[in-house]
Amino acid sequence: MEILLQLTVSGIALGMIYAVIAFGYQLTFATSETLNFGQGEALMLGALTGLSLVGHMGYWVMIPLVMIFGLAQGVVVERLGVAPAMKTKSEFGWIMATIALGIIFKNTAENIWGKDDLKFPSPLSELPLKFLGVNVLPMEILVVIGAIVMMLAVELFSRKSIYGKAVVATSNDRDAAGLMGINTGMVITFSYALSSLTAAFAGVLVAPLTLTGATMGTVLGLKAFSVAIIGGLNSGMGVIVGGLILGIAETTTGFYISTGYKDVPGLVLLLLVLAIKPAGLFGRAAIKKV
Amino acid sequence: MLKIHNLTAGYGKVQVLYGISIEVTKGKVVTLIGSNGAGKTTTMRAVSGMIKPTGGEIRLADRDITGLPSHRITRAGLAHSPEGRRVFASLAVTDNLLLGAFPRLTFSRPKGDVNADLERVFELFPRLKERRNQVAGTLSGGEQQMLAMGRALMLNPDVLLLDEPSMGLAPLLVEEVFRTIARLKGEGITMLLVEQFAAAALTVADYGYVLENGRIAVHGPAAKLKDDPAVRAAYLGQAH
Repeated sequence: MEILLQLTVSGIALGMIYAVIAFGYQLTFATSETLNFGQGEALMLGALTGLSLVGHMGYWVMIPLVMIFGLAQGVVVERLGVAPAMKTKSEFGWIMATIALGIIFKNTAENIWGKDDLKFPSPLSELPLKFLGVNVLPMEILVVIGAIVMMLAVELFSRKSIYGKAVVATSNDRDAAGLMGINTGMVITFSYALSSLTAAFAGVLVAPLTLTGATMGTVLGLKAFSVAIIGGLNSGMGVIVGGLILGIAETTTGFYISTGYKDVPGLVLLLLVLAIKPAGLFGRAAIKKV
Repeated sequence: MLKIHNLTAGYGKVQVLYGISIEVTKGKVVTLIGSNGAGKTTTMRAVSGMIKPTGGEIRLADRDITGLPSHRITRAGLAHSPEGRRVFASLAVTDNLLLGAFPRLTFSRPKGDVNADLERVFELFPRLKERRNQVAGTLSGGEQQMLAMGRALMLNPDVLLLDEPSMGLAPLLVEEVFRTIARLKGEGITMLLVEQFAAAALTVADYGYVLENGRIAVHGPAAKLKDDPAVRAAYLGQAH
């Protein structure tokens, strides 16, 4: 029982990271119905940039700088990869373009930071805290809090500020949003910037728990993608629940069955969801009223 | 205020408009009538930048707005309440209205008193006030129409484009829509109105244009068009 609780706690931290990355997928899908398949690489670049910066400053000072870096990186992805495809009304151009950019980012990172995984210094004590016989790393708590704060901040922005409402309006009806004087092209660029910002933020959150390296993003990005599909591409609650399910499924399978199979339950769940409820567990099928 | 000269437009390779010219002077209501497929909505879309015109010129208050993206045309002072209402379904009524004032709230147009204008819209459409916190997607068709009109008014526009405001509404609501248009006219709002109810449109309007197959067939003072035998036979036969 204690072991199960321990595995659940570790799964929660992992799951929240998946949730934040999946949340990033949702941001761009909402405004443009496109996804950044280089989302994992955005996370990796954020983590490695953070690693280079953290030698010169504190962890907490580094975070906002990495977030600014993420914003800029997202703008580059949207301008180079997505906007041209949308302009020519190419339905699938953005898929290849974002994958290609992801590969370029990965190769660039290998050349700058090398191919080996690097240790990211932890800003908090690496000694676990004990709760009811369960070990919890302070960094794991920070991951959960950071992920929730990030998602709440974006939610608050969408609900309270007129710019956030403009983003929601663009997701509802792009043409009508244009008629309100909203520059919808800019809104889409912004959604990519915000999406990469959340990924970069997730990168520096998770880096002290894992190792950091050029290849760290690929698997995380792919898993978060399945979380977004499991939870639903338009449901904020969905990515949290989906992330937790996947995170906990991985740690428990890894322990009770074999670490070699730890990715299987999540993928099986993905296949099941796609077969039974393609809009995702919490996804809404679009209702249009005329 | 709004001058459309020799406008051509279409969708892809299909040409819909073959050189139409329309003038809307300040404070006047001009209506564009015609049968389905004549190009009324296409005209509205080309004017507000929802589609790019292929030729001709559109001037708003002497400024050339031809081919500008719709957000820039809106910021220049033209509001368009589009066909099918197009309200933001997942946002509350008040949020929809505030988005109508987006250029004013984001400093690309004089701000004025947005809250006073919000109250004015609520006074014009008391139903919207009752439902101010309700999500727009759950409103009835008539309420959505009021919302679309109110949202366009929130721009404090120099010219207001109304595309088929009565479409799909019950007869009582249609009358209400026309009463509202008459009231807005009384307040001095410049309007270009596209309507299927030609008789009612010509009653409220000062001037009218009849569109046939993408060309202006007849135009003249609304009262005169209403008495024109050809117009009567073609467009006023069944309506009222």
